[in-house]
Amino acid sequence: MHLSIGLTTSISANRMKWIYENADNLHFNGLWIGEDIGRPQEIFTSAALLLLNTKNVNIGIGVTSPLIRNITTIARASSTLSEMAPNRFRMGLGIGGIQDLSSLGIPIKKPVHSMERAVEILRTIWVNNVNSISNEDLGIHNYTAKYSSKCIPIFFGVRGPKLMTLAASIADGVILSGPRQFVEKSIELIKEKRNSLNLSFDKFHFVLWVPTILIRKNEDLEIVKKTVAIVALDTPDHILEMSGINKSEIFLIRSEMKAHGIEKVAEKIPDRIIDLLCISGDADEICDKFKLYSSLGIQEVVFGPPYGKDARKSMAQVAQTWSKNS
Amino acid sequence: MKFAVSLNSNDSIFDAVKKSIELDRLGLDYIWVSDLPSQRYAPAVCAAIAKVTRKIRIGLGLISPFLHTSQQIASSLTTLIESYGPRFDLCIGPGDRDELYRVGVDLKNHKNILQSLLNSKEEISTILQKRDIESKIWLGAQGPKLLKIVSAFDGVLLNYSAIEMIEWSLNTIKEVIDIPRSIGVFSPSYVYEKINSKIQKMLQYAAATVALGTSKTVLKEFLLDESLEPARIAYKSKSLDESILKLIPQNIIKKFSIFISQDELPIYIQELKRLGVEHVAFSYPQGYSLETIKELSEGLSKL
Repeated sequence: MHLSIGLTTSISANRMKWIYENADNLHFNGLWIGEDIGRPQEIFTSAALLLLNTKNVNIGIGVTSPLIRNITTIARASSTLSEMAPNRFRMGLGIGGIQDLSSLGIPIKKPVHSMERAVEILRTIWVNNVNSISNEDLGIHNYTAKYSSKCIPIFFGVRGPKLMTLAASIADGVILSGPRQFVEKSIELIKEKRNSLNLSFDKFHFVLWVPTILIRKNEDLEIVKKTVAIVALDTPDHILEMSGINKSEIFLIRSEMKAHGIEKVAEKIPDRIIDLLCISGDADEICDKFKLYSSLGIQEVVFGPPYGKDARKSMAQVAQTWSKNS
Repeated sequence: MKFAVSLNSNDSIFDAVKKSIELDRLGLDYIWVSDLPSQRYAPAVCAAIAKVTRKIRIGLGLISPFLHTSQQIASSLTTLIESYGPRFDLCIGPGDRDELYRVGVDLKNHKNILQSLLNSKEEISTILQKRDIESKIWLGAQGPKLLKIVSAFDGVLLNYSAIEMIEWSLNTIKEVIDIPRSIGVFSPSYVYEKINSKIQKMLQYAAATVALGTSKTVLKEFLLDESLEPARIAYKSKSLDESILKLIPQNIIKKFSIFISQDELPIYIQELKRLGVEHVAFSYPQGYSLETIKELSEGLSKL
């Protein structure tokens, strides 16, 4: 099992710099950058910085939506990144949050079809820089790429069962996020589907990325509770159901948050919910909790954000503990 | 006067980096990296260039706001400037119509291209200001309609090389608005010591592409419309090839490119200075190789 670091496009340039300057020395397996729409950093340019300033770690987009960029832009951006560091770049796709997409005026229609089409076009463009490519749905006419790529692994960051099944069929891996029971059931679903298609498990990569927070002092629990309140707000109902979480408890958190704000609701979040929706503890506890996922088939775990009160120290401490225990 | 070389993102990252190191060493002022839908992703190429250079300014553009949102463009600049310092400019413009059409962006469907460009410029400026990021925003322009909105930008990069065409466009601007703070030109270029026929052929293709994309109003103004018509008709049904190139008279190719010897360069630059031009971007194929870059640098040293 490998340890990676997660970051998003909300990150400050200084923190990103610290991460890429230390990633190799701290022996992280990879860095995954997720897209927070409308935030300061641009995801592909940031991934370029990560690739250019590291030597050994894998760099992944984790994830961006094919609905918010022209698919040919995703194709050439990922191809450019792959060219910077062959075999170190991984491309992650997900549909995107409903609220984010609606704020951009993008309706979510047929998400399974959209993801399937995106993967098909990306792979066609990447390998084929001679013949022209057309796709009526997307209005692509005789597109010829003046670049090409070796096979770039495609990861899905998805949560619904239909998209999970699609991931099993066409992706190279999946980034899972949610309570343990949900993760377990998702892995089962994917394995079942790959079995039915006679697809090997060896070539499929399971990544776990859940909010993680290193706790040093009792007051750090405040960050944990606030994080859990936000996660509770965003977690789809079907995941709560699949995870055996009492929905009324989550609904209460959501309504309290709307009525009184995050500060008030954070105080009332029970420990049981904290354990379900995030991974927290001291460095040893976090590493132990991560390793428990190995038995489910998870091959790579992603630490953070929000990392902890002092993000840099937290990342370094978890990395050192991980190395020591490995 | 600032001098730039426009690198083609058709270059491999390795080549772009190698050429950028040389351009930085030779003391050129700018490298422009254009973002075309069929080529490498320009913001990532800019990041690679910034990592290996120290002094040279890097221009992201021309990049089309019809392909990227203002937010995405502003965020690319934010990431670059926050990481490598304030040495990045931006140039926006509609972009190559044919290339955009091939990726599903049909500019014919945009009712008001000028207003959209103005909105994008405003949005990008606002986002950057909020983030305390400074960057000069240029408009890449050629046709008379676009020229009317240049005052909203920090500078204009005119896609012309012939002195009379630059003069005409500046007069067109003056008729309606104030002249922008910075005036630049970008054009297919080959400043040579000794003509290399292979590079000359590349220049002809690049100049032909610009000529074929020039608005009819401009072509009529310079009485080029009729002689270019056979090539324009042929270009509608196929990509630019040798048969189309043969249909384009040499005087047109000459008007849409900077094709001069090192010794002739000072005279040309003097003429540009007279017009108030203060930025010259030598576009493809000038940046084709280390050799063509060296030829330009030697020419510039004679100024």
